[in-house]
Amino acid sequence: MTELSQLRRPSLRVALGALALATLAAFAAPRPALAAEQPETVCIQCHGSLPDKLGAPVKLWRTSIHAENGISCNACHGGDPKDAADAMNRSRGFLGAPKETDIPAFCGRCHPGVLKDYLASAHGKRLGQGGPTCFTCHSNHAIQKASLTLINEKSCTRCHSFERARAIRDAMLQTEGYIVNIDARIKGFQAQGVDTDRLGKGLFATRNRFHTLFHDVNVTRVKAESTQINVELAKLDQDLKVIEEARAKRKTVGAFVIAGALLLAGLFHLMKKTFD
Amino acid sequence: MENDGRRKFLGVCLAGATAAAAAAAAYPVFRYLAPRSDALGAKKLEFAVSDLPEGEAKFFEYAGSSAVLVKTSAGAVVALSAVCTHLGCIVQWEKDKQDFLCPCHGGRYSPDGAVTAGPPPRPLAKIPFTVENGKITVG
Amino acid sequence: MGLFKRLYDWIDLRIGAREIVKKELTGYLLPRNINEWYSLGSVLLVIFALQVLTGMLLMVYYVPDAEKAFKSVTFIMNDLPYGWLIRLCHAVGSNMMVAVLLLHMLSTLTMGSFKKPRELNWVTGFILFTLVQGISLTGYLLPWSQLSFWATTVATNSAAAIPVVGPYLVEFLRGGKLVGPPTLGRFFAMHVAVIPVIIAATIGAHLFLLKRTGISTPPFGPQEASPPAPASSYHYESHPGGIPFFPNYALQDLTSICVYFAVFLAVVFYAPNLLFTPDAFVPANPFQTPAHIKPEWYFLANYQTLKIFPSELLGLSVQAAAMTFLALLPFVDRSPQRNPLKRPLFLACTIGGILLWIGLTIWGHFS
Repeated sequence: MTELSQLRRPSLRVALGALALATLAAFAAPRPALAAEQPETVCIQCHGSLPDKLGAPVKLWRTSIHAENGISCNACHGGDPKDAADAMNRSRGFLGAPKETDIPAFCGRCHPGVLKDYLASAHGKRLGQGGPTCFTCHSNHAIQKASLTLINEKSCTRCHSFERARAIRDAMLQTEGYIVNIDARIKGFQAQGVDTDRLGKGLFATRNRFHTLFHDVNVTRVKAESTQINVELAKLDQDLKVIEEARAKRKTVGAFVIAGALLLAGLFHLMKKTFD
Repeated sequence: MENDGRRKFLGVCLAGATAAAAAAAAYPVFRYLAPRSDALGAKKLEFAVSDLPEGEAKFFEYAGSSAVLVKTSAGAVVALSAVCTHLGCIVQWEKDKQDFLCPCHGGRYSPDGAVTAGPPPRPLAKIPFTVENGKITVG
Repeated sequence: MGLFKRLYDWIDLRIGAREIVKKELTGYLLPRNINEWYSLGSVLLVIFALQVLTGMLLMVYYVPDAEKAFKSVTFIMNDLPYGWLIRLCHAVGSNMMVAVLLLHMLSTLTMGSFKKPRELNWVTGFILFTLVQGISLTGYLLPWSQLSFWATTVATNSAAAIPVVGPYLVEFLRGGKLVGPPTLGRFFAMHVAVIPVIIAATIGAHLFLLKRTGISTPPFGPQEASPPAPASSYHYESHPGGIPFFPNYALQDLTSICVYFAVFLAVVFYAPNLLFTPDAFVPANPFQTPAHIKPEWYFLANYQTLKIFPSELLGLSVQAAAMTFLALLPFVDRSPQRNPLKRPLFLACTIGGILLWIGLTIWGHFS
């Protein structure tokens, strides 16, 4: 075939080679990111490859909300996250695994409001005497975003009947539903480019205040403060409604604009036919 | 020819539709580029009376341009635009002479904004303000 | 109307406008069996013009500084009147540009319009295709979101597989070892100045070649009884007895453009999230790679190809070979036959290639 024999010509070969190189350089094709681009603490780097009991926390932690927010082992257990030699050095702040009675203080370093409510509550007063610690309901490494599902029959009946747990859960149900609804709408808007910073922060603060309430395990208090929290949520709801209305308006205008474009297309087409 | 009539009709329709489309496209672009006045409008500003010593002037931004608060040696407080009425330069407060001097062409104003010398055609614009409980509210 | 005629006469006296109109518009004859696919070129011109216009409008408020870029885009989307519309038009428009470009390539490929004497048209068109990929890639980084940052990291990483110069090339592209503020600076310059100018110049060349050679006749219908004998000297392919470009085919162009706008606006108003993942609205964090970072749909086939081959260099070379083959197609497929139904090998390869690309894209999306 004459075409293929052309390939023997040196000028064509040079051109082919140059074009290939140029295409290679200009052609950006992605591939999965290198693990080295993402700095991990030395804790994860070492324990991640250890077997059984020593490595299991890493897998659990990876599913947690702490991991999602970049909070690694040293945030709770102390130690140096960058230097493997000093990672577990007590003089560098390493705390090891806490004893049962030390658990609330351990978590309370970052969650002081919850600690305060817990210590004043019926649960907290039984610390060290069979009462629950943070770990009892929240687990330690695979900690999930707090929600009302933590108050369930299986968990609470380990120590007592479900009646009182049910009472407090029912008191929190409506508000929690409101929060979940607002959260979903905010997330939906964020995925559309709406600036949800202020709303998101407002909800975060309100949600934390509300969830902290539980740790007092006091139904009366929950009911009383829920009213105030609902007022704040209603404000957020109103702001979201304004955005939703504006969005709906955009869609209506969009319908007219698209209809206009189709009308123009039709008119041009008919005009063309008069010339055929 | 039947076609001619049709063509004329379609031509008119097209002209109208295209004009509407052009307007519909131009309006958002105009709104997008137009300078925004709502954010810079009548935002009130507050100052503490103690922040303003006697015989001194305080410059700040108000309604998108320069303004100045002056406490004269007589103790009176005045709020003025600091934009010279001649060609728009910002006037300076002269503590020793207790008046305003424009550095561009030497226009001079008294502490309450009246022109005392130089080319400015009008006095400095006054800005409304109130004094209450040791606080000056401009705007 | 008297005023318009007087104005026209005034201009005609100075530049011979009537002659130009006769030559380029009313007297510019196109083949009788011309079809709608031929209007995709003018649709692309309009898309490009709209991208330039919306791009310029965005530049009024966008700040190309790593600290401020994301906030400026948020400002445009939320606080500026119709800022969301300008931004969405630009983002959706870039994807439409690639889609319509692929359709345009497909139609010229199928109708054999890349063959002699139009090889240069195909080559300039292919250069435009590469430039459009480049401008899409550089533009993607500018909002400085998690998606922007990490997609660019992944994309620039691939150059590292090139032997010898690879790692240095990556650093040169990024302006540093990792994607960062220097990358934003050079990508911004490329995106708003360098590449648009080169695209405009290449479009000029592409259109010049088109006008100089003459528009091709679709290879369907009675005309294609026998392929024309190859000429040994330059000749312009005229179409005596054909239909005039103005007003006949100009109206077809306008119809296609309006249909495009209907589709384009439908996406802008009703499905803008087709092209944005939630990561597109989270500011870039160099220390946290989000899960499931994927490139834009038109790069998914390349992404998947690289994942298939165990060696990155092999994966890149395979793609480079495919692209080179496509670029030099007019020099490989030299038969004068243009009707696709009479070129079974070509048709099989084309359909096979398209299915492969679609398959890889879908696989890339789900992998």
